[in-house]
Amino acid sequence: MTFDTHLHIENVSKKFGTVDALRDVDLKIERGSFVCLLGPSGCGKTTLLRIIAGFEAATKGRLILDGQDISNQPPHKRGFGMVFQSLALFPHMSVARNIGYGLKLRGVKGAAQRDRVEELLDVIRLPHIADRPVSALSGGQRQRVAIARALAIQPPLFLLDEPLSALDAQLRDNMQIELRQLQQKFGVTTVLVTHDQHEAMMLADELVVLKDGAIRQSAPPSQIYNDPADSFVADFLGAANLIEVGAMKGGAIDLFGTPVKSTVPHQDGDKMLAAVRAEHVGLTPVANDDHAGIGAISFMRDLGAATEFVVAIDGKNLRVRRSSVEAQGLDVGSKVALTFDPALVSLFKAA
Amino acid sequence: MSLQLTKSKALAFSLPALIAILPFLGACFYIFRFSISGEQSRIEGFSIQPYVDLMTPYFGRTVWLTLRLAFIATILAMLMAVPLAFLLTSLRSPFARRSLTIVILLPLILNLLVQAYGWILLLGPSGVLNSTLRSFGIIERPIFLLFNETGVLLGLVQTSLPLAVFPIVSSVRGISREHLEAASSLGASHWRIFFDVTVPLLRPGLFGAASIVFAFNASAFAIPLLLGGRRVQMMGIAIRDMISPLFNWSGAAAAGMILIFVTMITMLFAAWLARITSEKVER
Repeated sequence: MTFDTHLHIENVSKKFGTVDALRDVDLKIERGSFVCLLGPSGCGKTTLLRIIAGFEAATKGRLILDGQDISNQPPHKRGFGMVFQSLALFPHMSVARNIGYGLKLRGVKGAAQRDRVEELLDVIRLPHIADRPVSALSGGQRQRVAIARALAIQPPLFLLDEPLSALDAQLRDNMQIELRQLQQKFGVTTVLVTHDQHEAMMLADELVVLKDGAIRQSAPPSQIYNDPADSFVADFLGAANLIEVGAMKGGAIDLFGTPVKSTVPHQDGDKMLAAVRAEHVGLTPVANDDHAGIGAISFMRDLGAATEFVVAIDGKNLRVRRSSVEAQGLDVGSKVALTFDPALVSLFKAA
Repeated sequence: MSLQLTKSKALAFSLPALIAILPFLGACFYIFRFSISGEQSRIEGFSIQPYVDLMTPYFGRTVWLTLRLAFIATILAMLMAVPLAFLLTSLRSPFARRSLTIVILLPLILNLLVQAYGWILLLGPSGVLNSTLRSFGIIERPIFLLFNETGVLLGLVQTSLPLAVFPIVSSVRGISREHLEAASSLGASHWRIFFDVTVPLLRPGLFGAASIVFAFNASAFAIPLLLGGRRVQMMGIAIRDMISPLFNWSGAAAAGMILIFVTMITMLFAAWLARITSEKVER
């Protein structure tokens, strides 16, 4: 598969006064892909999106769209459709006028505009609301109208700034699926900002994890999930245990009795951290604790399909998630042996 | 339990205010009754003579002058208030914001008489401006900025400015940055954003502010009295003249009713204008 770069964010830095909001961010976005910028608040993800949209100017670096430098183009010349956190629907316009606004500015008027608006309302499955004021819509309907307004202008880039954060959990789940389907239908290159790792995993082709204004890892979600680049990424992507496992010996560490070889070169004697996901820890009941890798369950809760445990072992607490079938006969205080698949353990040098 | 006041509780707490308004309504009715009185100095019998007596070119000029000055002063105050409102909402530092707020509010805090004498000291025939210009030999005879329509306009604009600024400030606050950015991302230039988004969102506040300012200016009394120098006969002055030297109470009452009537017509017209212009935007 050839990589067709649509937008190249070239060594972009941004300073607000003396604060570095972005530091040498270099990112190539493939045509037609769905990219999620993920990170905690203050990581620079929104600033990066606003630089792409043209609302902020980069202090250093360039934006190259289809080989052309657009760094100095004002936002209204870029014509990237954007969905805002507040949605920013125009309250003084009807639904149809909101969706048609970008078309009107492009000289699409009268019946042609009306047809295009109807078409988009069909796509977002709200065919009969054209003449309603936006104040009469529900949260999910507004969401879809904001998306339709941004897509109406057939933008080269589709930008979304935490658009789903105001919705309740169930509606958000549905909107994520819908958003992904819309993006694929239009084939539009999309950049979405979120702080919700589940949302990012669900939507992204390419997931970009940011912290303190710098990219920590940029890869497909499954790769980030299974092979995080550093302990921050492992931790931020959720439900991972970060375990101080002491110094490296003979190119491997000892994880509660399981030797784990490092795939990246680390010196013997380096202090290491192991990251392992809760669902990647094996758990078997044992009668006695006469060998390594035995802990005691200190907490458990049934989540329906799975059961989550906290196991106290060697003075540390590990989260373990197993199917509820395996939880039968176990209780708080039960002794269990923990097993690890070395292939599913990531090692990082401790800071 | 709802934390909002229930209707009956709100009504109970509003009673003092409603009772305070009652005498005013009574006075309004009393004036109305006097305006159709058969006698000039007391309420007796019914007659439309007070209104008929007002149908003179002289009173017509007074009504026209009042509407014209109030209208021009409203436009000028609005033109000055809009940028001020934007400035006030753009200030980040609380100190700067508070200082500017106080400066704008000053005309409401200061006694009208003091303000008028301030203008006279500054712009009067022997005021600071004229004596300075004369001492530099730029003019020989004083320029008359006061005791004519210019002086009254100046006073009206200055005293009504705060009434214009604050309603506009609250509607400027209602426009979020994201609304403007959304328009920009859809391809609108600065001017288009101003006319397509900013102005429509400001419109209710603009009409509201303009209505208050117009009513305030049309009923002005102290300003035309002090800065008009008997030459600018606005309705407030005309009414006073009917009462004080002429003791024509029924005529004054009829003129007062006409003032209330034309002000209300103008405000209804403004409300209607606001409605049809926003409907045009809707569809």
